[in-house]
Amino acid sequence: MAHCLPLCVTAELPSPLGASTPATDAALVAQLQQGSEAAFRTLVARFQDRVYSTAFSLLRSPEEAEDVAQEVFVEVYQTIDRFRGEAALSTWLYRLATSRALQHQRRLSARKRFAFFTSLLGFTTNQLPEPPDHAHPQALLEGAQQLQQLQQQIGRLPSQQQVAFTLRHEQELSYEEIAAVLGTTVAAVESLLFRARQTLRRHLQPSFRHV
Amino acid sequence: MSNSYFRPDSKEEWADLLRQLGRQAKVQPQPFFYTRVQARLAAGQAQATAWLPAWARRPAYAALLGALVLAMSGDGPALRPASPAGHYGGYNLSPSAPR
Repeated sequence: MAHCLPLCVTAELPSPLGASTPATDAALVAQLQQGSEAAFRTLVARFQDRVYSTAFSLLRSPEEAEDVAQEVFVEVYQTIDRFRGEAALSTWLYRLATSRALQHQRRLSARKRFAFFTSLLGFTTNQLPEPPDHAHPQALLEGAQQLQQLQQQIGRLPSQQQVAFTLRHEQELSYEEIAAVLGTTVAAVESLLFRARQTLRRHLQPSFRHV
Repeated sequence: MSNSYFRPDSKEEWADLLRQLGRQAKVQPQPFFYTRVQARLAAGQAQATAWLPAWARRPAYAALLGALVLAMSGDGPALRPASPAGHYGGYNLSPSAPR
């Protein structure tokens, strides 16, 4: 597809929020590869929530999630020619979303470390702020604190476990779908999830005792 | 997957917590997301055309790297004298009268 804007306008596609099935996705990809703007619009409308919420689950920041989601769709637009359909379209999008989100996460951590060291050396005081906590005190008292703790602990898991856990419990993907996204086997996904749950339970155990 | 590490009561709490996590994950981007994606694409396009074309960039980097490697490694031995004057232990370059 030529990388030009505006995209060629072709025949109207079915409802943008139509169900995503392998057949409709294949048709969408075919139209997208021909440079259809309507197809790109449909693709974005169909997958934006999933891509955004996956990025949000891994980053816990609306701004970062928005940035990642935009990056994902730009990349899809620029590389759709190379998509051969070996994996499902949604798998490819989840793969892009998770890898981009992890990249952002690493970049943010590096920037935080750098800001911390420069502040120690007295070069600057511009530390990156911690993500804002919008939780209402009443909600915290009602148990949302545990959820917040869980989210913090998920963020500390090794990246593969973090992605597997997020895709399973927040995006509700099947083990097979997660295996396809991670490019691994179902058994490996089971192992990742088992270890993630063990780690999370171990870290959350003291607070469970006080409920 | 069974896990005997956890007590039954906290297992229920754990399941409840995971349900909360799932519900909380249902977030959506702000309205007009597609417009912003289009704007980003257009910005990227403008940036790409303003600079060298993509095909010209990589060979340029490769040539630069090659030149750098040559500059750093190629001329060292040629400029260095074979043996420094007055260096003992090897050849003695100072002219000596034949005996």
